[in-house]
Amino acid sequence: MSFYSFAHWLERREWALDFSASSYAYPIVLATHLSCIAVFGGMVLVTNFRLLGWALTCYPISDVMRKLRFWKRLGFLLMVTSGLLMAGSEAGKYYGNPFFWTKVALLALIGVHALVFRRSVYRKTTELDLAPVVPGHAKLAAAASLILWTGVVCAGRLIGYYI
Amino acid sequence: MLLIQVNPGLDIMIKYQWLFPATECVHIIGFALTIGTIALVDFGLLGFGFRREATGQLVRSTAPWTLSGLILIIFSGLLLFSTDPDHYYSNRAFQIKVTCLAVAILLNYTIHRKVALSKNDSGAFAHLVGAISLALWISVVFGGLFIGFTT
Repeated sequence: MSFYSFAHWLERREWALDFSASSYAYPIVLATHLSCIAVFGGMVLVTNFRLLGWALTCYPISDVMRKLRFWKRLGFLLMVTSGLLMAGSEAGKYYGNPFFWTKVALLALIGVHALVFRRSVYRKTTELDLAPVVPGHAKLAAAASLILWTGVVCAGRLIGYYI
Repeated sequence: MLLIQVNPGLDIMIKYQWLFPATECVHIIGFALTIGTIALVDFGLLGFGFRREATGQLVRSTAPWTLSGLILIIFSGLLLFSTDPDHYYSNRAFQIKVTCLAVAILLNYTIHRKVALSKNDSGAFAHLVGAISLALWISVVFGGLFIGFTT
């Protein structure tokens, strides 16, 4: 089965039809998605700002990472769930939407980013605390993360303009 | 109507069609910054993340970002509003959103800040303030989104 026919199969499932038929389901799920950007996206911003030395400098890097890790994961789970609900219920439309694919590509790059910097930054936070200044590669990781996540948010907003 | 006549923002928004979605993106990044930093303090007040004892430091450390985000949100929000003031003004969701926003900002710079900075407030009151603040800001986001789905 091609991805195209999968998209059309998916949007004809009963839950997808119910979702599309309700005039409240879509806005409520989208508003939840946006609230997660506010609450948990803010945590991503703050974590990166800490690495760049722009905020929360009174806390050690390892402290910021450890305290926010669980919440960022929870937020990611909520965002993916609400995102899949919206995309899945109108899979045919999303399939032809270039901004949707831009967003997917950026999310894939975020996965690559995590793999690239996991060993040198995200699993080395205690070493980062001991360094007199935050090393360049950690700041690079933070800057790249900020750019990628900003891109994801913008691409996400633009999905709605291409229908 | 007066707003439309003396509105320099509107001409630009009509001339450059990409400006509206671009402004929306700025609006979203702005609220992630403001609400995100406030939510960190709310979580702290509720005993999660950065715990209760750290909220004072948290408020002081994030305040410039909270304010920067707020400036971005208000500026971009006014620009979006200027494209169709009559429509927004009479929109129920918009009215609820703006009311929640005004209360949320007021709360943030008064009781919320005071409770976060104080060391010996009762736990229950801190919990209450954190929960109300979080609920208000999420209502602002919901209200904002529902503008597009209501008349």
